[in-house]
Amino acid sequence: MASTTEPTALKREEEEEDDSKPSAEDEDTGAQIAPIVKLQEVAVTTGEENEDVLLDLKAKLYRFDKEANQWKERGVGMVKLLKHKETSKIRLVMRQNKTLKICANHLVQPTMSVQEHQGNDKSCVWHAADFSDGELKQETFCIRFPSVENCKSFKDKIEEITESLSKVSVESAEEADAAANLIEKLSVEEKGKEVKTETKEEPAPKEEKKDETEKDEKSGDDK
Amino acid sequence: MALPNQQTVDYPSFKLVIVGDGGTGKTTFVKRHLTGEFEKKYEPTIGVEVHPLDFFTNCGKIRFYCWDTAGQEKFGGLRDGYYIHGQCAIIMFDVTARLTYKNVPTWHRDLCRVCENIPIVLCGNKVDVKNRQVKAKQVTFHRKKNLQYYEISAKSNYNFEKPFLYLARKLSGDPNLHFVESPALAPPEVQIDLVAQQQHEAELAEAVAQPLPDDDDDAFD
Repeated sequence: MASTTEPTALKREEEEEDDSKPSAEDEDTGAQIAPIVKLQEVAVTTGEENEDVLLDLKAKLYRFDKEANQWKERGVGMVKLLKHKETSKIRLVMRQNKTLKICANHLVQPTMSVQEHQGNDKSCVWHAADFSDGELKQETFCIRFPSVENCKSFKDKIEEITESLSKVSVESAEEADAAANLIEKLSVEEKGKEVKTETKEEPAPKEEKKDETEKDEKSGDDK
Repeated sequence: MALPNQQTVDYPSFKLVIVGDGGTGKTTFVKRHLTGEFEKKYEPTIGVEVHPLDFFTNCGKIRFYCWDTAGQEKFGGLRDGYYIHGQCAIIMFDVTARLTYKNVPTWHRDLCRVCENIPIVLCGNKVDVKNRQVKAKQVTFHRKKNLQYYEISAKSNYNFEKPFLYLARKLSGDPNLHFVESPALAPPEVQIDLVAQQQHEAELAEAVAQPLPDDDDDAFD
């Protein structure tokens, strides 16, 4: 089965070999075997096409195994924070080196809090609803970086994002409140004058009561 | 469990038989690819365990049904019965245990008796260990029998993708086939309820105190 050119190639490879490194890593010494499938080249979609990269760092990811009460490796690769160009949603995506498989894929939500991993300032811990394999799973993650600096940049970036997200959610909550008030007023006005007068009269007695309590307190202080 | 030659997915799938002496790291290697974890504890495989393992390539998604067989004789189960309709194979040995390399010809012979002309990769595992008993240049069996050889480390991930890449290329006859990013789908919005949140925080507090399995300053790549 071996081709006639092989013996010389073989000899050369053996000469090049030394103890420390295997020779010619990708040298094909396999037999010529007929393929059993015909595959067509397909268009590759990463799913990240409409996103801007906010952060891209080398890291090692672990997931917490509750039953075994221990950390288990998930993968080594690049961890990215991606912001969608249209929706502005930010997510964390990490892929395994070489195989490029996804080892983490979850939204960065305002409630996400990254904590330092005890006794290791190169790693930190958080919780997320992970979508790596296409279904949501609650996971506790730990990520380790080659340097303290990179770990800090990661933590800082997440904090910066969650803070701005919380602001947005507070603002939108305020907006919602304002809108609700407006609707209430409108509906009150629609109900007619009777209701209006009632609502107007209400605050007055409250104020009086307040004054009374204040007076009581003052008199108490005097004594 | 996938039956021989049964297509249970709508993309190409292959039966991959993994053989070799007990303790050479067959199960650890498969697990590493399945979940990312590295299992240090040795629990001998009994009979066989079949795991589907998907890869994304420039020619679409492919699947290997990994038949992770028992290496220890006493747990061998059906033995040759597992090899039937195997479309590709990995023979594993441990570079820190000479005997496991000496037994490679036996595994190869048994395999080839059932599976003729399938692509086979010989893997010398545990190359991360300093005291090797089988040096790279002492590995010659693959040249005699036309197998592909890779030095791998399930621990450090050295060359860990190579056996699958090689087999995929041979099975498809496409030497340019390569792995590509799998599509990262947009995660759906989740409603955060307070009770769940408190539970997660409690879990987090527990996890924070646990050391990492390889919590040293080793360089990783």
